[in-house]
Amino acid sequence: MKTLLIAALAGVSMLAINSAQAVERGGTLTFARYDDSNLVDPVYADRNPDIWMVTNLYDTLLRTKADGKTIVPGLASGYEVSADGKAISITLRDGIKFSDGSPITAADVKFSLERAVNPDFGPWSGLLGSVESITETKNGVTLSMKNPDPTIISILATFNTAIVSKAAFEAAPGANDQEKATALFAPGTPVSGPFTLKDRTRGSTMTFSANPHYWRQGEDGKPLPYLDEVSFVVIPDDATRILKLQAGEVNGAEFVPFSRVAELEADPAINMELFPSTRIIYAPINARETRADGSPNPMATKEARQALNYATNKGALVQLITHGTGKSMTSPLMASTTQLAHDGGPLYPYDPAKAKELAKSSGLEGAEITLSTLAGSSDDATLFAAIQQMWGAIGVNVKVEQVDNPTRGAKNRSGEFDVHTYGWVNDVNDPAQVAGWLGYYPTRKAVGTGWNNAEFNSLFEASNTEIDPEKRSEQYKRMQEIYRDAAPLLFLYETPFAVALSANVNGYLQTPLGNNEFSSAWIAK
Amino acid sequence: MSSLSYLVSRLLQIIPTFLLVMVVIFLLVRMLPGDPAIAMADAKATEAQLELIRQKLGLNEPLPMQFLYFVKNTLTGDMGTSILLKAPVLEVILERIPVTAFLTIYAVCLSILIAGPLAFVAALNKNGMLDIAIRSGFQVGLSTPVFYIGLLLLTFLAASLRLFPVGGYGTTFLQHLHHLMLPALTVALYTSAIIMRNLRSAVIEVLDAEYVQFARSKGLTRSVILGRHVLRNALISTVTLLGLSIGNLMSGTLVTETVFAVPGLGRLMLEAIFARDYPLIQGLTLTFAVMVSLVFLFTDMVQAWLDPRLRLS
Repeated sequence: MKTLLIAALAGVSMLAINSAQAVERGGTLTFARYDDSNLVDPVYADRNPDIWMVTNLYDTLLRTKADGKTIVPGLASGYEVSADGKAISITLRDGIKFSDGSPITAADVKFSLERAVNPDFGPWSGLLGSVESITETKNGVTLSMKNPDPTIISILATFNTAIVSKAAFEAAPGANDQEKATALFAPGTPVSGPFTLKDRTRGSTMTFSANPHYWRQGEDGKPLPYLDEVSFVVIPDDATRILKLQAGEVNGAEFVPFSRVAELEADPAINMELFPSTRIIYAPINARETRADGSPNPMATKEARQALNYATNKGALVQLITHGTGKSMTSPLMASTTQLAHDGGPLYPYDPAKAKELAKSSGLEGAEITLSTLAGSSDDATLFAAIQQMWGAIGVNVKVEQVDNPTRGAKNRSGEFDVHTYGWVNDVNDPAQVAGWLGYYPTRKAVGTGWNNAEFNSLFEASNTEIDPEKRSEQYKRMQEIYRDAAPLLFLYETPFAVALSANVNGYLQTPLGNNEFSSAWIAK
Repeated sequence: MSSLSYLVSRLLQIIPTFLLVMVVIFLLVRMLPGDPAIAMADAKATEAQLELIRQKLGLNEPLPMQFLYFVKNTLTGDMGTSILLKAPVLEVILERIPVTAFLTIYAVCLSILIAGPLAFVAALNKNGMLDIAIRSGFQVGLSTPVFYIGLLLLTFLAASLRLFPVGGYGTTFLQHLHHLMLPALTVALYTSAIIMRNLRSAVIEVLDAEYVQFARSKGLTRSVILGRHVLRNALISTVTLLGLSIGNLMSGTLVTETVFAVPGLGRLMLEAIFARDYPLIQGLTLTFAVMVSLVFLFTDMVQAWLDPRLRLS
């Protein structure tokens, strides 16, 4: 009897837990953003506040799961790659519709992908540089490739290849593609994603309402999204965003400063989320033989750059700057959440004795190095103070130069810097983008450092046409070894995306690429 | 000189001011360090994309040509397209002007409501306890940074007591009043401190003037003396100061609008500067110059009304 009673009680409590976890539909989620979206067109979106919203309005043929790595079917029910990798047949899901009820057809897909491929349009066409032509088939499209492209499947799950309505685009006012794209960011435009744009006041508010014809099913067997509406308010000031959440005026606030995370974690009314991200913080080191003024560069040798890395206590920086929310980089080229990231253990663990020895042998000892930091950034100010002390211990005198973002960008391009702070978030679910940015010389001189390694460059080029996943993985492993050894960067740390939500908000996700996903979010009443 | 010809002569004086402002804006924006194309296109952009932006902005043209285009376009009402917002500058500015104008007028009204009565109370209790208390209070207001006052008001009146919204603008007139109360109060506290000090001194000075003593000797009541003789004469210098303060108030919106999430011109200016959005910075600076000039013109007109001697000179 006692056993039966316990079993019955356990059953009741399980039911209670299950009902507490059951999704609830309806309501408006109000979300405080740090910046507004200015243009949510898959092809022209170029700033993070724009890019990260695209997939709420426009679905892609394939989708990336929450881990940021696994690709699953989206508007396409499947795809097939030919044996030589030069043809990709994509089959569309049956019965999919735009938000106005019109069917999503192969013609819409062809139109959308041709816009994405066109080099005269937005900044992302290079990601589809391997596509030669797109042809309609009975229930989908076929991509003919100039060469096999291992990144193409990831790109078909990336925002720039999202599907727009051909008819709506062509009917939009405007003299050219760019003007039509701007006109499309208007309330009521038919969309393929979970939400439609309901209204918008530039720089202030934006409202999304549920797409009644969206194809994905929720946990309750009915179409997503669960919410009726998502209302965005733009609040650039960090402290104000948090106050607004604490005052109960919004249900969520993004980009919570790491210094506030512990305080919000302790608040029972708030659910402080730290989403895994592809964000890395690093400092490019000028690796050229001479500095911009023609004088010999003390950081030209790999031993000198290794000395700087060994002299930097990354664990301490993680505590000081991210308040323990971040972690040291383990792959020199990318965040650990990126595909093909090779975890080679701690990168240059803090070793002042070794750093001193390398500084002496490389001639770095006694050098004066300028660290360019971002003016107004308290993180950079802390970083400078800590690094000045750490590098001082190996005989390196660190000077600070505070610059604004455009100045930093210009100096990086011209090579007029010693060491400066920088950060990165992947836009694409493939390591080619970040590896090309950080290490490949021909594109941007290895993130402006001037580091140029023939083996790395040829491995990178080969990896861009290698369709054997194992071989590609080996190529990436070797690239990471080379990069780690050459140390053109001060390898610092990874940080999560910190989003604070009201305790009754469930299912919200910020993906490792930064996309804000509201399709599975719901509010417990 | 009649009121109309005075107005016309003041309007004509504004033209060379604008030309000078245009030269200064144009040169200052171009003196900012860093490449605007890089700022606008994001660090990941290729050289070809940067070149496209430079061409679009005419950055490859010689400076004098760029200036001529700027003047010609501005005079025809074309302030260019904002690279950041991907929309015509004039359209964006016209959207935001009502917000900043509402905030500024609200702050001015609050400043007058706070400073006016307190200045009179302080002046009439010259060197008394009340006078010292009022002056000390305003001294604190004057020496505290605006953003700090703003955050204090936000924390206590909005987040803790929930008397006002934390930020935003609202959609109806009453909502605007409610939403903008704290930002308006933040700037008003600073401005009213300045006005109060000036008005108090002016009132004390006028109270000692011969014509006031004469009015007293005629047996006029205290309220008639204060209303008819003291207020009007004490206001002359205060109106000038108030006009100047409105100029300051507008520049103060850069901070206030950001802290309080008010979608006005000040916040837009900050965003434009960070993004090196040349057309938007130029358009906004010119708009601020026009607004400040109009305020100064209005101030002069009020002064001339208060003191007819100004019109004659």
